[in-house]
Amino acid sequence: MQIKQLQKPSKPLTKGTLSDESFITLFMVGVLIVVFGIACFAVPNFYKAQNIINLVTNNWFIIILGIGVTFLLITGNFDMSVGGVIALTGVLAVYFCQGRNVSQNVLANGLGLPYGVAVGLALLCAMGVGAINAFFIARLKVPSIIVTLGTMMLARGTAQVITQGAQRNTSLPDSFGVLGSLGIPGTSIRLAVIVMIVLILVAFIFEKKTVFGRRIYLIGANPVAARLSGINVTRYLTALYLLSSLLAGITGILLASEFKAGVSSRALGYEFDALVVALLGGVSISGGFGSVLGMFLGAIILSVVTSSATGLLLSPDWQFTLKGIVTFIAILAQRFALDKRRN
Amino acid sequence: MKPTENVLEIRNLVKDFPGVRAVNDVSFNIQRNTVHCLVGENGAGKSTLIKILTGAYTRTSGQILLNGEEYRPHSTRAAKQKGISTLFQELNVVDQLTVEENLTLGMEDTTLGFLRRTDKINKMVSVMNSIEPSIKHRQLVSSLSVAQKQIVEIAKAVAAESNIIIMDEPTAAISESEIARLFTIIKALRENNVTVIYISHRLDEIFELGDYVTVMRDGKHIETKPVKEIQDRSELIKMMIGKTVFEQYTPRESDCPDTILQAKHLSNHRLNDISFEIHAGEIAGFYGLVGAGKTELARAIYGVDPYEGEIIFKGKKLLPAPDKAIAAGIALVPEERRSQGLFTILTIRGNVPVMNMGKISRNGFVNNATERNITLEYVDKLKIATNSIDKEAAKLSGGNQQKVVLSKCLFANADLLMLDEPTRGIDVGAKSEIYNLIRQLSREGKTIIIFSSELPEVMNICDSIYLLYDGSLRSALRNNCDVDSEQILHVVTGGE
Repeated sequence: MQIKQLQKPSKPLTKGTLSDESFITLFMVGVLIVVFGIACFAVPNFYKAQNIINLVTNNWFIIILGIGVTFLLITGNFDMSVGGVIALTGVLAVYFCQGRNVSQNVLANGLGLPYGVAVGLALLCAMGVGAINAFFIARLKVPSIIVTLGTMMLARGTAQVITQGAQRNTSLPDSFGVLGSLGIPGTSIRLAVIVMIVLILVAFIFEKKTVFGRRIYLIGANPVAARLSGINVTRYLTALYLLSSLLAGITGILLASEFKAGVSSRALGYEFDALVVALLGGVSISGGFGSVLGMFLGAIILSVVTSSATGLLLSPDWQFTLKGIVTFIAILAQRFALDKRRN
Repeated sequence: MKPTENVLEIRNLVKDFPGVRAVNDVSFNIQRNTVHCLVGENGAGKSTLIKILTGAYTRTSGQILLNGEEYRPHSTRAAKQKGISTLFQELNVVDQLTVEENLTLGMEDTTLGFLRRTDKINKMVSVMNSIEPSIKHRQLVSSLSVAQKQIVEIAKAVAAESNIIIMDEPTAAISESEIARLFTIIKALRENNVTVIYISHRLDEIFELGDYVTVMRDGKHIETKPVKEIQDRSELIKMMIGKTVFEQYTPRESDCPDTILQAKHLSNHRLNDISFEIHAGEIAGFYGLVGAGKTELARAIYGVDPYEGEIIFKGKKLLPAPDKAIAAGIALVPEERRSQGLFTILTIRGNVPVMNMGKISRNGFVNNATERNITLEYVDKLKIATNSIDKEAAKLSGGNQQKVVLSKCLFANADLLMLDEPTRGIDVGAKSEIYNLIRQLSREGKTIIIFSSELPEVMNICDSIYLLYDGSLRSALRNNCDVDSEQILHVVTGGE
C-alpha cells in the first residue's frame, strides 16, 4: 500500500507555482520584447520615446473594444458586432445633433438635439444592439457567433441607411468636435487615450478583484457547473453584452467627434482586430482563461508590427499579410509553450 | 476453419483505472449462437468489460480468444471487422440522413471520393427489410422511433456479417410491444448463427430471452449458468448482491419530526407524479437503477429542469432556479462531477468558494486572504490530497475531485444537501471517508438526500429509503435494520 503518499506534504499548501495565466502573460511580454528589439534594429528611430508612446496611443480604440471582447471571450462567447456599433453610434450622434431643416441636402438635416442628449440617445441605441445580442445568446441560447455577425450587419446597415451609404458631416454645432480635440498639448495623448487608460485600469481591477470578475471565469470554465453553483448565467452574459456595446458606443462617439463626421464605413473590421488582440494576449477561444492585461500586450505587439511595417516603407498592401503572419506565429508559439508546460 | 464451441473465451481479464480495478480477473466463456445475458449492479464492471470487447478500452492484462484466436481490438472499427458489433444505449445513427445512407455509413463504395450505388446498398436494404419490412430505405432516420432505429443498427450489424452483437440495455427506452418485436428479432438472429450478448437491468427479460447468464459484482465474475438452471428472480438477485458485509446502519435515537422539504405531485418528461416529505435532520435515500429518474428528481428539486407540481422548502414554495435554491438553503452535488460539478481548468482555490462568494468578499471585492484560508480549511477538513491549493482541479484523482465538489457545496452552508451518486467511480477508501462525512453532517443537524444506484450505500447510511422505478415512486420505507435487500431489488427491477 502506498500510504506514504498521504503524508503531509512538505511544501506549504499556499506556495503556488506560477499560474498558467501569469506564464502566458510573461511569455507575451517576451514576445513583445523580441518583436520590439527587431523593430528597433530594422527601423530608424523606432526606440524614441515619442514613437513608443504612439504605439499605445494609436490603438486606443482597439484596446477599448478589446476589454468587452475579452470579457465575453472568457465566458466562451464572441462579440463580432462592435465595429458595426461604432459606425452606428457615430452616425446617430451626428444625425441627432445636425440642425433641423437647414438645407436642401437630406444628409445635412438632422434632429437638432443638444449635444449631450444626442450622445446619450446614441449610446442607448448602442446598448440596444447589445440587448439584442444578449436576448438571443443568453436567453434563447443561439450561438454567439451567429447572433453577433447578424447584429454587426444590422448595425452597419442602419448606419448606411442614415448616411445613404456615405457620411454626414455638415451643419454640426461646435460642441460636437470638443471631445475629440481635447488632449495634452504637444503630445499624442488625447482624451480618448486617457479614457482608454482609465478603462483598462478599471477592467483590470474588476477582472481580478471582484466577485463579478471571478464569475466571468467560472461561466467560461464550465457553464453547466456555473449554473448549478447558483450563478445566474443569463444575467451575467446580458450585462457583459451591454457593457461591450457601451464600450463600442463610447468609441464611436469619440471617433465621430474627432473627425466631426458620422461615417458609415467607420471601424470596418475592428471586430476582428479586437478578437485578434485578445487571442494574441492568450485569451482562450473556448473560454475560462485569459486576461485584460494579456489583451493589452497583444494590442501593443500588433501595434509594433504595423508601425514598423510603415517605418520600413512597406506598401500598405503588405501590412495585412505581415500582421497575419505575426499573429499566426505568436498564437501558435503561445499554445505550444502552454502545452509543453502542462505536460 | 472448424468453428469452436465457444465463440468467445475470456481469461483472467483485468482492467485498472487510476485508484480502482474495474474488471478483476474475470474468466468465462460465451457459447456460439446463444443469447448470453450479462447482469450486475451498477459499477459491477459490465460496461468496462463490454468496452474492452468493442475496442473502446484496452485491457490491463488477461486474454480474450475469439473463435479460438487471440483477440485484441485497438478500435471499435477493428472490433467490427472481427465481427463484433454493438448496439449502444446511445444509438449510433445519424438522424439527418436516410435509412439507406445510415446503413452504408462508413463503408460506402466510392469512385474518386464520389458515392457509387452498388449492390451493397441493395443487399443491406434487403437484409433490413427481412427483419422489418415497415421501414422504407429512403426514409429519414429522424422520423423513426427508437425501436426502429435499433432495427436499422441491427440490420447494419447483420449485413456486416457480425457473428456477435452486443446489446446494452436495448429495452430501456422502448414500449412493451416494441420489446416483444425486438425479442422475436433477437431469437431469429440466434437461429441465423449470431451470438447475442445482452445486458439488462430488467431481470424478467433474462428469463424470457437468455440461454446463459453471467453475473458480475464489484468487477469480479460471480457465476455463469444456463438460465434454465436458475430457479427464480431471487436466486439471481442473491448472486448480484452477494453477502456484502457493509458497515451496519444504526437507527437514529431521536425521531426527526419536522418536515423540511415537501414535494407535491412532481411530474415532468421523466418523472411521474412523485410526492414525498423529508424531515429535518434525517438522511434520506432515493434508490433506483439507471433510468429510474433519480437524477431527474434531484434536478427538479434544485430547479435545473422544469416540472409541474410544487415543492415546499421550510414552509415556503421553492422557486425553480438553482440560484434560488441555494439562496433558500439547498445545495446539490451533481451526478457528473467533471462536467457538472467541477471547474476543471481552475485551481482548487478557484473551485471551493464559488457557491458562497458573499462570504469571501466585501462590497463585491474578493478578499484573497479569506479565500485562501477557507480553501485551506476545507482541504484539511476533507483531507484533499494535494501539494498546493493552486493546483488545477483536473489534475486531482477522482476521489479528491469529488471532495473538492463536496467542499464547494458544504461552503454554501446549506441546510439541505443533495448528493447525486456521491461515490460513483471513486475508490473504497475515499468512499468510506465520504460516508463518515455525511454522517457527521447529519449529526450537525443538516438534512441530507442521497440519490444512488448502489444499494449497500443507501442501506448503510440512510434513515429512510425511497424506491424509484421508471420515473415513479414505488415505495417508501424506514430503514430499521430488517429491510429486505432482495425485496428492494425486486421493486426497483419492475416487480410488483
